[in-house]
Amino acid sequence: MISQFFVLSQRGDNIVFRDYRGDVQKGSAEIFFRKVKFWKEDGKEEAPPVFNLDGVNYFHVKVVGLLFVATTRINLSPSLALELLQRIARVIKDYLGLLSEESLRKNFVLVYELLDEVIDFGYVQTTSTEVLKSYVFNEPIVVDAARMPPLGPAALFMQGNKRMPGTAVTKSVVAHEPGGRKREEIFVDIIEKISVTFSSSGYVLTSEIDGTIQMKSYLTGNPEIRLALNDDYTLEEVGYQVMVPPDGEFPVMNYRITQEFKPPFSINALIEEAGSLKAEVILKIRAEFPSSITANTILVEMPLPTCTTRVNFDMEHGIAGQTADFKESQRRLEWNLKKIVGGSEHTLRAKLNFSQEFHGNITKEAGPVSMTFTIPMYNPSRLQVKYLQIAKKTKSSNPYRWVRYVTQANSYVARI
Amino acid sequence: MSGHDSKYFSTTKKGEIPELKEELNSQYKDKRKDAVKKVIAAMTVGKDVSSLFTDVVNCMQTENLELKKLVYLYLINYAKSQPDLAILAVNTFVKDSQDPNPLIRALAVRTMGCIRVDKITEYLCDPLQRCLKDDDPYVRKTAAICVAKLYDINAELVEDRGFLDALKDLISDNNPMVVANAVAALAEIQETSSRPIFEITSSTLTKLLTALNECTEWGQVFILDALSKYKATDAREAENIVERVTPRLQHANCAVVLSAVKMILLQMELITSTDVVRNLCKKMAPPLVTLLSAEPEIQYVALRNINLIVQKRPTILAHEIKVFFCKYNDPIYVKMEKLEIMIKLASDRNIDQVLLEFKEYATEVDVDFVRKAVRAIGRCAIKLERAAERCISVLLELIKIKVNYVVQEAIIVIKDIFRRYPNTYESIIATLCESLDTLDEPEAKASMIWIIGEYAERIDNADELLESFLESFPEEPPQVQLQLLTATVKLFLKKPTEGPQQMIQVVLNNATVETDNPDLRDRAYIYWRLLSTDPEAAKDVVLAEKPVISDDSNQLEPSLLDELLANIATLSSVYHKPPDAFVTRVKTVSRTEEEDYPDASEGGYSESPAHTANIGASSPATTSNAQSAAARQPAAAPAPVPDLLDLMGMDNNSAIVPTDRPASPAGPPLPVLLPAPTGQGLQISAQLIRRDGQIFYSMLFENNSQIPLDGFMIQFNKNTFGLAAGGPLQVPQLQPGSSASTLLPMVLFQNISPGPPSTVLQVAVKNSQQPVWYFNDKLPLNVLFSEDGRMERSTFLETWKSLPDSNEVSRDFPAIVINSVEATLDQLAAFNMFFIAKRKHSNQDVLYLSAKIPRGIPFLIELTAAIGVPGLKCALKTPNPEFAPLFFEAVETLLKS
Repeated sequence: MISQFFVLSQRGDNIVFRDYRGDVQKGSAEIFFRKVKFWKEDGKEEAPPVFNLDGVNYFHVKVVGLLFVATTRINLSPSLALELLQRIARVIKDYLGLLSEESLRKNFVLVYELLDEVIDFGYVQTTSTEVLKSYVFNEPIVVDAARMPPLGPAALFMQGNKRMPGTAVTKSVVAHEPGGRKREEIFVDIIEKISVTFSSSGYVLTSEIDGTIQMKSYLTGNPEIRLALNDDYTLEEVGYQVMVPPDGEFPVMNYRITQEFKPPFSINALIEEAGSLKAEVILKIRAEFPSSITANTILVEMPLPTCTTRVNFDMEHGIAGQTADFKESQRRLEWNLKKIVGGSEHTLRAKLNFSQEFHGNITKEAGPVSMTFTIPMYNPSRLQVKYLQIAKKTKSSNPYRWVRYVTQANSYVARI
Repeated sequence: MSGHDSKYFSTTKKGEIPELKEELNSQYKDKRKDAVKKVIAAMTVGKDVSSLFTDVVNCMQTENLELKKLVYLYLINYAKSQPDLAILAVNTFVKDSQDPNPLIRALAVRTMGCIRVDKITEYLCDPLQRCLKDDDPYVRKTAAICVAKLYDINAELVEDRGFLDALKDLISDNNPMVVANAVAALAEIQETSSRPIFEITSSTLTKLLTALNECTEWGQVFILDALSKYKATDAREAENIVERVTPRLQHANCAVVLSAVKMILLQMELITSTDVVRNLCKKMAPPLVTLLSAEPEIQYVALRNINLIVQKRPTILAHEIKVFFCKYNDPIYVKMEKLEIMIKLASDRNIDQVLLEFKEYATEVDVDFVRKAVRAIGRCAIKLERAAERCISVLLELIKIKVNYVVQEAIIVIKDIFRRYPNTYESIIATLCESLDTLDEPEAKASMIWIIGEYAERIDNADELLESFLESFPEEPPQVQLQLLTATVKLFLKKPTEGPQQMIQVVLNNATVETDNPDLRDRAYIYWRLLSTDPEAAKDVVLAEKPVISDDSNQLEPSLLDELLANIATLSSVYHKPPDAFVTRVKTVSRTEEEDYPDASEGGYSESPAHTANIGASSPATTSNAQSAAARQPAAAPAPVPDLLDLMGMDNNSAIVPTDRPASPAGPPLPVLLPAPTGQGLQISAQLIRRDGQIFYSMLFENNSQIPLDGFMIQFNKNTFGLAAGGPLQVPQLQPGSSASTLLPMVLFQNISPGPPSTVLQVAVKNSQQPVWYFNDKLPLNVLFSEDGRMERSTFLETWKSLPDSNEVSRDFPAIVINSVEATLDQLAAFNMFFIAKRKHSNQDVLYLSAKIPRGIPFLIELTAAIGVPGLKCALKTPNPEFAPLFFEAVETLLKS
């Protein structure tokens, strides 16, 4: 069982603190924060999620910049503790709509009430928003979503794509809307995180999709749902699913695909010495998806040789929201693009200046090139929701049904 | 409700407390609720609002659950500091526990259990009794946990009121939530009790396996963890259990998956059919792989567990090496673990792929990760003979990049590769020598010097290379100095020309006269003597063929690995340490019939042996050090070993001994081993002792001769455990009539004598004035008992069962009397013999204990005696029964006194 649960802000402030057993000292939050912050002298290395300090075991996960922490003195299951911390974050988000320092502070009474039902004497009782609703009585105080940084996979939809009611998913599952009526709606999100490693010659070395089908229901009366997926799909045990979605966000299915798929971007990177103390980098990325689709918030990064002192960029003209930068302290090149339309190709040229001459192979000191991006309405697995049926009609004759797809780079790397 | 909770944090000018007091007594419900919220807000930011206790408690009598919960929250916080006022709440609690609303009943009993005030506890019993039999499952499940709360406050009360039986009844409850909580509560109570309270029989097993299917995910974890203590009777039952548990592997909650994996691994030990085992291995792979798609925090836990699993059953993930390839954005703690597993899974089949990855990692930014990747390549070379050449060519490629830390790391591993495959890859030495100037880390330098010395005959300019290092000899760290010394000697033996001869003189001079490092000095003297007396013998010794090294990537000892595997899905499997090594749960209450274990905390270990060894130089400063070291020893373990301070007390130094010394009885004087008449006036008393996990030879030298004695040295003959001095004997010059005591740190497994185990320890001591003195001492086995000898009950039972009866030896000690079980256990615990369990057998007490000697050999001990009646039977079960005579000798000495 766990002894304490607490939430710390990025600065180490105690936002929530609940002691369940009284066998760990009260100052544990501060001890923990100091340890995590200075894990290695240089402050660079991240503390592992589980560690023991003077007989107290600390577990922590990071959620939207907040540290969710549990402590214990016994030989507890660490996966239980870590999974619990994630679930508590999810439950709180279900209740508050948004998870942030501000929303936690505004709702502290509700949060304590939740924590008392989720954990008793250190033992997990339930983490289901659905079940908790019968025992929790405080009403959430909704924080203005527009001012808050978005959270989690659902937040992906808030960028760009106008068709999606992005902010809707940041509303509380339990709160009553102004006017007393809840809007009947259900969201089905297909979120695919992809990892691709290209060899220096451009071949795909490893590729993987970590997918999840996630549902968030705001339907009253918990009606039965039928969800059918396209049947030409090769996933095992996927056909259609019948379920009664509980209130709140929940994953319907997680899947993992290691078969080859067409990577959304091809990356072409070149680094060449250009006389003594100079080199040139050419980065070319090509969007290999249809032109009806647009990727956004693209970031391309490439570590440069340690003796790099200055970089001059040569960017294509006429592309809005494009920036390139040399982060000197990290010896890294960063290239930001606001959006990339399918089928298009973009190039960045950079001239590097070195402080000393090269002995070895320049390609060994630079790279690999890594990329992060988000592509709404696109998923490389081609898994699709064929239909989403709400079996028993609810009060409102036709609830809103939203099906959304998004692809996000997990580890997208090209070696050079 | 409107507005924000945070408004409750704001204060008014008037003075907060009086204003709140007024609001709390308002006639309006809403106002009272708001006021309580303000009080709670003040409480959470650390303000003292305890003066409002009465006013808050007055708000408790309400039908409004929201308000009631707030008041309860307040009560839990302040009851401890206001126990008398807390009584005021009792009536309402008792009333609430009978409320028609089940939520209020549950709330009352839950809150009462959290208030650790004795007077309230008394009143808790009746409501708890009712709630355990409540119609509503929500109330019952809350009551089940409440029994554990009460047990933590007052175990006796729980037993007297029969709550344990009520809890056991709840295992058969028709609501799975209730079952899960009952299991959790019983498991906790069992953890803290020495008596069997929650033993899983085959009928409870069936019940729990059925409940497993209907439980919440968290309940499943409680049940699986409790069931993992169950030992199946045979292979068939094990297969049955596994069949019921296997579906849990598909669960989305990773805690359920890992607890199920643990359960299956445990049962697999009993399953004899290889087909079934193979099939299970196949089933476990996908869920383990799936864990690596979870959040990085979970991945870390999974990887640490997988590390253990693949050591025991490499086939499970043999084909999945690709999932352990590092992703660019993995946190460093995940990357490091993945590397470790990649090495373990590397095989001739996948090595090319693996090398390609390592090579890539070796050019990343994070220095620690890069180093580990380089080292990984070397470890693969050592592990896979057929791939060694490919590994080396990758290392050479990396060296050519000339990144300083990569080069150094590569040289360190190449030294190991040379050791593993002598006379195979020396052609690359030239390439290595190119990087000589860039080496600035001791380990890399030492490795390079070792290579030069080892292959001096093939390196044309070996003498020049070594000479360049010699210039800085005095400034080098000991590691490098030692290698330089040996390498120079090797060079000289291989090329006995003028240059090396001069070098060797410089080195020997530096290493004997100019240094105060005893290791270096001793080694130099040995070389010196060898070279001057018999150069051929020197060759045989220094240039002897070295034993082949092997891959260290499966570094865990089998017994430790088994213990860790039994602890899969617990912290133990993440730390790779047995639970005893880090669990320090504070027992807040003393319980009846409960043994207080001497706290085997690790605090005492911080004292380095070297430090303790200095005590011999009896300056007041070091003595006070020794004092604090002694004070840190657990008070429960009175050390009957002779206390050095007492010895010094005999030298009229008692003034420096503070009076508040821990109450350890003045130990008997050290046994005299060399009496003064035999030793021409020198008397030596000595005894082996154990302190803070380290063995010392505690010695007293008394000079009764007419001349000062100095230059003391000591040597131990071959003995059963290879005990030898861990450092030089530090005894100052002894003036006639004076004495000196010292603690000599000892090391094990140096010179092991073959043949049956024996306690004889032959010692030789010399000084500069007298002949060498030889004497015999006895090696009491108990000094070898290690601090980590405590066994889990279940492990004890399993080990006992698993050993054949022929490994059990027993002996009667008719003269020994046990007058108090507790005192005996304390006495034995002080010698690292750990109490496991106790039972009564007619008028006799039967005690079970465990102990462990180095190399992980466990001793399972059964002592049978009637209190106060002479006669003790001691039975010992161990995988190495040849140690039994030594053991009995030790027991007799310990318990006779």
